[in-house]
Formats: sequence, C-alpha cells, structure tokens
Amino acid sequence: MAGDNILKLNPLTKITFAICLSISVFFADYPYALGCFIVLCFIAGFYRILKDYLIMLLKTLFIIIIFMFILQALFYPGHEIVWQWKFISIKQEGLMYALSLSSKILVIGGSILLFFKTTHVKDLVSSLEQVGLSPAFAYVILSTLQIIPQMEKRSRQIMDAQRSRGVETEGNLLSRAKAFIPSLGPLILSSIVGTEERAITLEARAFSAPVKKVRAHVVKETPTDKWLRILFISLLILFMIWRVVLWII
Amino acid sequence: MDYLIEIQQVTYQYPTGEKPVLQDVSFQIKKGEFCAIIGPNGSGKTTLCNAIRGFIPHFYKGELHGDVRINGKSIKDQTVGELSLQVGFVFQNPFSQISGVSETVFEEIRFGLENLGIDTVVAEKRVDEVMKLTKITHLQDRNPFELSGGQLQRVALASIIVMEPDILVIDEPTSQLDPEGTEEVFEIIRLMKEKQKTIILVEHKMELIAEYADHIILIDDGKVILNGNNEEILTNEKVLEHNTLLPQYAMLGLELRKHGVNLDRIPVTEKQAKEELTKWFAQEGQIYV
Repeated sequence: MAGDNILKLNPLTKITFAICLSISVFFADYPYALGCFIVLCFIAGFYRILKDYLIMLLKTLFIIIIFMFILQALFYPGHEIVWQWKFISIKQEGLMYALSLSSKILVIGGSILLFFKTTHVKDLVSSLEQVGLSPAFAYVILSTLQIIPQMEKRSRQIMDAQRSRGVETEGNLLSRAKAFIPSLGPLILSSIVGTEERAITLEARAFSAPVKKVRAHVVKETPTDKWLRILFISLLILFMIWRVVLWII
Repeated sequence: MDYLIEIQQVTYQYPTGEKPVLQDVSFQIKKGEFCAIIGPNGSGKTTLCNAIRGFIPHFYKGELHGDVRINGKSIKDQTVGELSLQVGFVFQNPFSQISGVSETVFEEIRFGLENLGIDTVVAEKRVDEVMKLTKITHLQDRNPFELSGGQLQRVALASIIVMEPDILVIDEPTSQLDPEGTEEVFEIIRLMKEKQKTIILVEHKMELIAEYADHIILIDDGKVILNGNNEEILTNEKVLEHNTLLPQYAMLGLELRKHGVNLDRIPVTEKQAKEELTKWFAQEGQIYV
C-alpha cells in the first residue's frame, strides 16, 4: 500500500521534503501555501495519523495563528477598514498580511511536525550518523531523549524528599515559588554529578576506543530515497527560478 | 615480563583533596590471577581501581606519582579508549552505569560491542550468551531505567563481560544484591577466571573472597598493609586491626586456638572448617563427650 511505502522512506528524504516545502512557501502567495498544507494533510492521511496530526496542529500552531491574526488585524497600518468599534478597527491589509504570514507558518511548522510525527528520532540520528554526524553528538541527542523522563522522575523524588523535611511544596503561589529553589538545586547538582559517572560508563563501554563503531540499528537507504531527494531539490530550484523570473518581468 | 599489572609506588591526590588517597602503593598481579582488594571504607580501594583503569590520570586530574603498567605499558602512554580494549570496569553505583541511549537491556549490553566495531550477527550471539551466563535473559526486553538495583548490577556486569576484556576490574559488584544474587555474581566471576581472565575485585564479603580469590591485598588509609596469598592474609589477625573482617571460619579457628583447641591450621572456607573440626573431633573429641 502507498502508506506503507512512505513509512519506509529514509528520514533524510523526509526532512529534505519538509525543508524544500518550507523554503518554497517564501516564493509564492498564500493560495500556494494553503495548497501545500492540504498536501501535508494528505500525507498524514497516508500514514493514517491525520486525526492526531490535526489535533497536534490545533494545540500548537493554531494558537499562534489566532494571536497573529488578532495582532496583525488590529495594528497593521492600513486604510480599508473592515470593521470598527470605537477606537478599535480591523483593516483589510492587516488581514491579508496575517493570512500570508500564517499560511507560511502553517506549512513550515506543519511539515516539521509531520516529519517528527512520522519519524522515530532514533532513525533520524542513525541516518545522520551514517552520513557523517559524530557519534558523540549522536549520543547527546539520543541520551537527551531518555534523560528527560529520568529528570522528571528525579525531580518528583526530590520534591518528596524535601516535603518530608518540612519544605512546603503545595499551597499558594508564594509557597510554591519558595519550594522551587530547594527542589531545583539538588536536581541540577545531582545531574552534574551524574554526568561524571555517565562519562565513566561510556569510557568503560569503549565509547572512545580507537576502532570504527558498528551500529546495529541501521536505517535503509534505497535508490528511491536518492531519486526522491534529487527530485525535491530540483523541483524547489525550478520553482524558485520560475517565481523569480515572474517577479522580475 | 612476569606480571600483567604492575603498580609501582603510586601516590595520588585528588585535585580537591587535602592529603593523598593512595600513598606509595606497589604490588603486582599475574596473568589469570583473581586478586581481591579489601579494606575499610574510604581506604582508597575505588581510587586504586580508577588508577588501574586509567581514569586516573586521564579523567580525574590531580597529582599522580609512580606508574601503573599493564602488559608492560604505562597507562600514562595510553588513552582511555585504548585501555578500554584491555580492561573492563564495573563500578559501584549500578544506576549510573546505563549508557542512556538504549531502550532495552539487550541493546544496553550490545552497546559496548557496537563501540568495539563488532559485526552485528556476532554481537547478537555474544549478547545472548552473556545474558544466559548472568541469568538476565528474562530481562532482555525491559527498559534498563526500570530495573531494580540488583538487576541493574547484573546488567552492568554483563555489559562489560560481553566485551571480553583480558582484565576485569570489579568494584563492589554485590552491594545491591541479596545473598543468592551475590553467590551468582561470584559464580560468574569464577567462570571468568576459568576463561583465564585476570580479575581485580573490591569486595567486603569475606567468606566469598576466601572461597574464590588467589591473591589478597589489604589496604588501609591509602597504604598497602598486607599483600599475600589467600590463606596467608585471611588467617592473619592483623586484618582485624584495620576495620576489616576475616571470614567467620577463620574467626572461629582463631578463637578456638585462643581457647587451647589445637587446630592444624586456621580454616578460611566452610569446607576447610569442616575438615579441621572433624579431624579435631576425631582426635580429641572423646574427652568432652
């Protein structure tokens, strides 16, 4: 099925698509960008995550877009007043500007979100490592993913410990703010201490051994990936040339 | 070259320390030997392990005098990465011995092999074998962050053993384990010894040391107090003066001797204690019946 084929694309191909699409919206007006967004929705549909995807967009980008519409409509300088109430007025120019800006944000944000929603970060990192990202940097990205939930767990433990020592961690804003320092301090300090032991662990596991590493987790790179990437980039270049030529004439 | 590991007059002080943690420490360890390092807390055992593994002077700064030689080569002339091919290191805290990039125990154990550049098929076979050896096969799909201390300690040991270094430096591997788990870990260490690995173990459980170790070094206050073979050290009452226990069988033997019971030798293991007491009963037991 088509969906399954897309699922197996190399992360680099997907990110090339996302980046090309994001750049292209700067060379066209909002109808094009909205068209791009519909394409993104179709792709999400292929992956059978359209509902999740739209909910995620609603929670993140939608809020930004609403704010932008309000601000631009009210404060963008213009003459054609659409609606007025006392000194507050909404102008045509502001609405148009907001529309063109938000449609771009929708495509850029939407394509990046779609990329991360359809790609495991592990796959992304290993594909980057395959094209020459340093293993140390790859480690940093991957370990961060695991460490964040660990830090959450730790901070809960520290909060409990501080509560048992009589630090007020609940109640009004002031007492919560006061509890912030005794909980955050140990969290940061223990994380720093943990770093040292983590470094020793890595050394013990031959992380800096003078041999070439072998990764068990390998992301496949098919000829399709290569051709698709060339296709995306050349389409983008052609599109840019076409728009610039139109613009000059 | 008779010795695999040579510690030559090592004196070391941590950058933030006020006095040296190790003072003029010298000893040698032969290939294939099982050497136990004993001594009270804070006597410098862990620091010594760090020096053998090359974390001192490469990772911890501070003043290092003297030399540690492995296979005749000074650790000062080798990088930590090169040393990791020869010396495996398991340290105390199991919770910080997780790579932090693996989602399962299987991946965790394989991590070291990936770094060594070992072919994936071979690596998977080796991981399977080590998991069987350390009895953690049932944990292979679990997230390492969700394991208990004892389980993690075994995972940490397995992750190092799988890399098959010639020398294993193991720092209190049983601190989180129940008696059964402890016996199992010692069983693993014994198997490693059978494979001709050289083992340096820091441990407090004297009965198990008596059972397995060849060579024992007592350290107190950063100095080597006693250095000798198993029975020589474990029957020496001087050990008790340094806040360190002797195996209970040796204590029994020493105590009996004090009360005029004439044992041929001081037993250090359960088996020896049985032999000695049976012998003694056979000779003189009738008097008391």
